[in-house]
Amino acid sequence: MGFAHFWLSGFDQIRSGFWAYVAVGLENGALYAMIAVGYTLVYGVLGLINFAHGEVFMCGGFAAVFLTHGILGAGVANGWESVGLVLSGIVFAGLISAVVATGVEQVAYRPLRRRHAPKLAYLISAIGASYFLQTIAGKEFGYGQNIFPAEVFPAGQTLFYIGKTPIHTIEVICLVVGIIMFLAADRIVRHTRLGRGIRAVAQDSETSSLMGVNIDRTITLTFIIGGSLAGAAGFLYALQNGIIQNSGTELGIYAFTAAVLGGIGNLRGAALGGMMIGLFGSFSVPFAFEGNISWTEIYTFLILVLVLIIRPTGILGEKSGRTA
Amino acid sequence: MNLLTRKSLKRLFGTLAFFALAAVMTGGPGGFGVPAYTGVHASYLEPVSYFGLFRTQRWSIFLTLGILAWLIISLYQPHALTIRRRLEPVTALPNRVMQRRTNRWVLIGVVIVIALFLPKFVHEQFWMYLIVEQIGVWILLALGLNVVVGFAGLLDLGFAAFYAIGAYATAWFTGVLPTPAPFHHPIPTLWCIPIAVGLAMIFGILLGIPTLRLRGDYLAIVTLGFALIIDDFVGTQSGLTGGGEGSLTTPTFSMNVGFWHYHWGINPTPYYYLCFIFVVVFLIVFTSLEYSRVGRAWVAIREDEVAAQSIGINPLKYKVSAFAVGAASGGFGGVLTAGLIGNINPTLFQYQVSVNVLILVIFGGMGSIWGVAIGAIIVQFVTSYLDNYQPWGYQLNDLYMYIGALLIIMMIFRPAGILPSRRRQREISGYETEHEGHLDEVLAGDEP
Amino acid sequence: MKLRWNKTVAIASAGVLAMTAVPLIAGSAISGAASKPTYTIGVQGPLTGSDSDYGIYEYAGVEFAVSQANASGKYAFNLKVEKFDDQGSSTVAPGAAQKAAGTKGLVAIVGPSFSGPSEVSYKYYHAANIAEVSPSATAVALASGSDSSFFRTVADDSVQGSADASYLVTTKGEKSITVIGDESFYGTGLANVVATEASKLGATVTTKSIANVNEGGGGNAGAYSTLATSLAQADPDAIFYGGYAPELGLLLGDLASDGYTTATHVIMSGDGSNDPALMTSTSPATAANGAFLSESATGKVSYFTGKLASEFTALTKAKASVAIYAAQSYDAADAIIKALVADKKTSSIPKLRKETVASLHKVSFVGVTGPIAFQGDGDLKVDKGAVQISEVDNGVITLVTSVG
Repeated sequence: MGFAHFWLSGFDQIRSGFWAYVAVGLENGALYAMIAVGYTLVYGVLGLINFAHGEVFMCGGFAAVFLTHGILGAGVANGWESVGLVLSGIVFAGLISAVVATGVEQVAYRPLRRRHAPKLAYLISAIGASYFLQTIAGKEFGYGQNIFPAEVFPAGQTLFYIGKTPIHTIEVICLVVGIIMFLAADRIVRHTRLGRGIRAVAQDSETSSLMGVNIDRTITLTFIIGGSLAGAAGFLYALQNGIIQNSGTELGIYAFTAAVLGGIGNLRGAALGGMMIGLFGSFSVPFAFEGNISWTEIYTFLILVLVLIIRPTGILGEKSGRTA
Repeated sequence: MNLLTRKSLKRLFGTLAFFALAAVMTGGPGGFGVPAYTGVHASYLEPVSYFGLFRTQRWSIFLTLGILAWLIISLYQPHALTIRRRLEPVTALPNRVMQRRTNRWVLIGVVIVIALFLPKFVHEQFWMYLIVEQIGVWILLALGLNVVVGFAGLLDLGFAAFYAIGAYATAWFTGVLPTPAPFHHPIPTLWCIPIAVGLAMIFGILLGIPTLRLRGDYLAIVTLGFALIIDDFVGTQSGLTGGGEGSLTTPTFSMNVGFWHYHWGINPTPYYYLCFIFVVVFLIVFTSLEYSRVGRAWVAIREDEVAAQSIGINPLKYKVSAFAVGAASGGFGGVLTAGLIGNINPTLFQYQVSVNVLILVIFGGMGSIWGVAIGAIIVQFVTSYLDNYQPWGYQLNDLYMYIGALLIIMMIFRPAGILPSRRRQREISGYETEHEGHLDEVLAGDEP
Repeated sequence: MKLRWNKTVAIASAGVLAMTAVPLIAGSAISGAASKPTYTIGVQGPLTGSDSDYGIYEYAGVEFAVSQANASGKYAFNLKVEKFDDQGSSTVAPGAAQKAAGTKGLVAIVGPSFSGPSEVSYKYYHAANIAEVSPSATAVALASGSDSSFFRTVADDSVQGSADASYLVTTKGEKSITVIGDESFYGTGLANVVATEASKLGATVTTKSIANVNEGGGGNAGAYSTLATSLAQADPDAIFYGGYAPELGLLLGDLASDGYTTATHVIMSGDGSNDPALMTSTSPATAANGAFLSESATGKVSYFTGKLASEFTALTKAKASVAIYAAQSYDAADAIIKALVADKKTSSIPKLRKETVASLHKVSFVGVTGPIAFQGDGDLKVDKGAVQISEVDNGVITLVTSVG
């Protein structure tokens, strides 16, 4: 098979299954965007990469498992029941993840902040936190087992057709929830008092503390917002893909790529970047050599490396401070 | 001493949370495949009997311990300064001893003598093997990363990529990959050392030139991305690199200098001496590098890039050189591993490997050559010991939980490592003395 | 004050040193002074890590066999079992193998579980004349040479793979087949055999591969839904997956939601996925119904049944119906015990090891999984019907036919 033929057949596959690739891409993109918000907010405020954020996402997924297996029990929900289930799942997973995110901040970041530690120290203690969370999740839920939330919700049901392509419930839910949560976060950061605090700290933490902004509380708030979005994403991800203790690493790197692509520190950039990475990931599947799906990963990381080399501030540019 | 102040109660809450976590950490593993009353259940509810005196559940023990710890901390707190001052002679002892030049040389001599005769004392072959594979090779890797992270202050999370390049280059040139060796002429493993090291170095320079302009944390991510690309690439190209299976038959070392022929077989002791020689060479080279013009330029860039630039140091040139030296030692480690283990596959070069090497560097003390070497010995020995003997109810899968906790604690209390480089220590103590750390802050958070 | 502290520190550190050094220097076992000698059977396999199910259940199988042998009182020796963890990784295996080879009183090894570790451990065991009896390593290349000290109680992948291919092409009449490998030594090997055999039989074969999710963060579960989308677009008649149950579960769920179901197509996998855990890792679980799973076994049984099952559960607390390869490990341990009986006269361990290898070549008995006897290269002697094809029927793996 010639090289040209390989690429042409890839384009053929995309043409015939265009909407299917779009649907999967948007679904994954919405998830990446929701996780990327956490990276971007923390970067804006603290100026550091929260390496443990992928694990915050993973905790959301395990919260979904715990909720469905432990609290709600079996029985498939339909109609309004399933809407209620999804809402309660998002709230619960978001809550758990927010708690974990603040916990990480309190234990791994705050003591360092009080000692004015160098940046490297934050990164390392974040790596420590991520190792810790990963292993303890593996320990409690079964190491190396991809587990699914109980079947309480028909995630793979076909909702409607675009042309001949079936669009599934989970894809619609991911996109809708992603958009709603992103708009909410965007609104909080732009238009509320707390959001003003976040932006102020991002711009100049010392001055804003002199102006009466409570820095600790503001930082906690950013972790709560980022954590709850990641938790919701974890819940939705687990519904379709199940969750395993190292899901966070992989998805975290994807989401981080998204945040960097859009311009880290820039909330809207995170959403844009997430969608782009999601679509890119699904459209690169037909171009995987020897049919090997890992090539989509290679392509994605190549994009990351290239973006950072050519335009380190991302597509929309870094705006830490002005719009958070 | 009032135990009912807001701060004190907050501290109680923190202590109890800590002990609840400790109960989970030391409890049995959970999961869907295992019987009930394991996992979180077992962490708190498993019945335990102590000396037959009373039957109880784990939670009551950990609750008691938590309250005791809180009381001790509360008692300790008012006298913290005095006690710490009294203890200072002890805590400062290692540093004080190491500061004397003669002491340092005596210690180095003792270490070398012990190292030379170590195979006489270790009777178990697999321990000898572990000493080479888990300790010797990792000392080399840690020393190499130390140049990048410790000397030049560049955070490299993609060290495993160069390790992989070294190992796969070895497999390629010895002709054990699905692709034939270059010019269809396989060469002995020992000859792969200069080739693999050179290749890794070239990759390091090629990656370094465009990326080293980036800020610190971006650099970390680019290197991480590079490592993931390399790992994915070698894992997917089954026709080229053997895919996930890699190569199962990497040849071991053998030497043939006309009159003298030697083959490293399955006995690990000859590997030990080979590795020992390399470690000594690395130590000497890096120590002299540290105090050379290049080494000083690295430190200058690490401290203040703009200032360094103003006195005529070209930051990019020196950063790339540090990166290349690190990459070269990664490649070197790759050759050694391939020859020693006798097989390679992508799991050896995962992202975690980069982080694990970084842990050794941080634990020992960034920028301190002896610290890194000794740190690597301690960490690698303890983990191998835990893995092989599982003392005190230690569970095999839990290693990274403790390592993660250790990293956080180290960053809070001793960010400069166990044996800090003297230069580095001075910098870090700048911020440490201002805001001296104590357990209380971690447990109770800070007062607004 | 100062002096006392120094002393305490010194004593404490000396204590720590002593504690760590004692097992290092003194070695491990001190054998009891019982009248019967005690021999050790080692188990090498993934006892930790993502594939630890295999190692743990195989250990349970050996433990069961040994406890029965000890309780029977028939033998002139006592047996005990020792674990050697290789995490299922060929790069960890050399250490585990050397540890096992250096263990005093060890006569033979059950395992390693996986093919990669078996391959790299062989030279260490062979040098020490220790027999390796693997209950689950199926790669073709493992058994070679006539003085082999490697044995296995399962048929290899060539038997299984060609049976699978002929089932797909000849029995089911599928024309276009997509074969997916999971990038592991086992999965890729099996997928390759199926792909070559199926194209020999005249089918159009497309190959794909996707990284294992469990392998230390190597794979991304989200990638399975994109793969499923592209598979549903390509719409082959049949899909064969060479890999393990958790990933097959993901793939089945995603394929079903993309409209590629077992009702209209054939989805098949090998013994790695022939595991009741498939049902829990498929969402929705109904998507697994109708999937075909093959397994190489000599007889009709690959799990403990009846009285053996309840005794097994009583001893090891493991459910017999999910204990994968426990029965094969039981047979492997039994083969070793039978070989030991054959050479009961020797007492020195190195001699015993050598003779055990020799006697294993002659062992022949009917085990739990069927007749056990080895060919010259250590492969199991297989008769007709060595490969079982099962179908998932309402969440239960049900035998359809025996082929091969």
